[in-house]
Amino acid sequence: MSSSLLQKYSVGNFHFPIRSGVDNILVNKESILEVVQKVKEDDELLYEQLVDITATDNILSKTAYSNERYTLIYTFLSLKFNKRLFVFTNISEEDLNTDSITQIFEAADWYERECYDLFGIKFKNHPNLQRLMNDYNFQGHPLRKDFPLTGYEEVRYDENLKKVVYEPVSLKQEFRDFDNESPWEGMKETIQEELKK
Amino acid sequence: MGGHERNYPRRIEKIMSENFKPVTLNFGPQHPAAHGVLRLLVQLEGEVVNKAEPHIGLLHRGTEKLIEQKTYTQAIPYFDRLDYVSPMCQEHAFAIAVEDLLNIQAPKRAQYIRVMFAEVTRILNHLLNIPAFAMDIGAATPMLWAFEEREKMLEFHEAVSGARFHAAYFRPGGVHQDLPDGLLEKMKVYFENFPKFVDTLEELLTENRIFKQRSVDIGILNKEDAVRLSCSGPVLRASGVAWDLRKSQPYDVYDKVNFSIPVGKTGDTYDRYLVRMEEMRESVKIILQCINQIPKGAVMIEDNKITPPKRSEMKNSMEAIIHHFKLFTEGYRVPEGITYRSVEAPKGEFGVVLVSDGSSKPYRCKLRAPGFPHLQALHFLSQGHQLADLPSILGSLDIVFGEIDR
Repeated sequence: MSSSLLQKYSVGNFHFPIRSGVDNILVNKESILEVVQKVKEDDELLYEQLVDITATDNILSKTAYSNERYTLIYTFLSLKFNKRLFVFTNISEEDLNTDSITQIFEAADWYERECYDLFGIKFKNHPNLQRLMNDYNFQGHPLRKDFPLTGYEEVRYDENLKKVVYEPVSLKQEFRDFDNESPWEGMKETIQEELKK
Repeated sequence: MGGHERNYPRRIEKIMSENFKPVTLNFGPQHPAAHGVLRLLVQLEGEVVNKAEPHIGLLHRGTEKLIEQKTYTQAIPYFDRLDYVSPMCQEHAFAIAVEDLLNIQAPKRAQYIRVMFAEVTRILNHLLNIPAFAMDIGAATPMLWAFEEREKMLEFHEAVSGARFHAAYFRPGGVHQDLPDGLLEKMKVYFENFPKFVDTLEELLTENRIFKQRSVDIGILNKEDAVRLSCSGPVLRASGVAWDLRKSQPYDVYDKVNFSIPVGKTGDTYDRYLVRMEEMRESVKIILQCINQIPKGAVMIEDNKITPPKRSEMKNSMEAIIHHFKLFTEGYRVPEGITYRSVEAPKGEFGVVLVSDGSSKPYRCKLRAPGFPHLQALHFLSQGHQLADLPSILGSLDIVFGEIDR
């Protein structure tokens, strides 16, 4: 970590291997505004560019790297020191609200709108929190793991009605999701037990 | 122009009077100057843009969701379809991100091939953007000229991957196939002559009076604003920030080739055009150096738990058949971890945030598209300009909706 200043806000390590030597901290969502401000303005850090904001839905993860349902991942870049920084913050399923950082990084606007659209995370004090990627009247948040890949609605142009109509998805064939994971790996314990005998 | 002071000579600050009522104009989603399916709500005061609000997502295909359902091998073709004018650069980002998690490195020859073709892709991209930009502001000829050259370069794409655009050529662990015989010689001949074409293209545009009138001092972005608005690539460099990931955070063999970073002065649309022009010349230098330096050897790591065995081997070896079968059904497992790797794509920083939970499918794959923040900056850039300048600004940002909408 390039500054001990940030350690103050860190609430423990992110239980997940982070590759490519990127600095990272896990913070409480309450302190995100403070941290981001610090990250941008501290002379030892100067992460002056926001590269990306994204989220993950941890509900199906085989490795429990977060106890909460969602993790927000902020990526910052310091042009001066040529370094990158991940800021992680966990969002629980019960309280999807978090502070918007658009006051500090103007470019966060669309990134936060995208997170809202695709994950349903609500950013407080965002100037215009509307859907970005999906249709204006879209229901649901597609990148959540419980949202089916095929979606719920399909759209077509109706020649008789002379307009676009929305209908429930009907597939001519069930969506096929093959489980190709090798069963051998799962037998490890059984094999170990057999070998002991 | 110094410091934070904003000085926009061509912008019209205030023309509102009681007789004027703002008009809201719906620009797009189907408009030739919108470079795809962009819906732009433009609020006009007379002919001056007061507010330009892009509505995106008309090309949203849920690529990130789809990638989560596919194995790492099956995910590669989706990267071609993001920014469909520079396919190989995006595969490059994914390939190095997966290599990062797998903790492997592609063989040297593969790295050279990748760098070489990433640069071919860069030229292809700029050869589309520059004439399209020129066309937006009134020059039709460059488009015809550039497409002829693009076609010749796409033949190189086709020679290595079998496809003109959707190559799926860069794979984690190397590249799919070795170069065909004689390709390097052909490329050498072609790229040695290519700067002449750039010269002729430049003769048409750079000092062209109409072209300059439509682009000089339009959409000025100074250093601070460019950084603040998350700009990258040619847009950032045109504003005078010498930042290039190929230099500052080199990947593959970019640290073994010599090239310089063209930087603009004022950060207007004309500068962005000039930077792209110079970048093409630099790309040619990189390609020629790669052709000279490229070593012999393998183009894919020889670990059959990750890369498929050779077809000839499969005819004789049972193990090879099993490997092949497992790789194309289950795929390879990637150790758990999270990584962010980015490449200097022709449009700017293209990055992949890859989260793996140890299975054979990416748990989360976020695609950081360079055009996304650029389009977001459109409102800032166009405010106070005339409506006719809007296509000029839009064209100079190099917008492709495949990557923005994902």
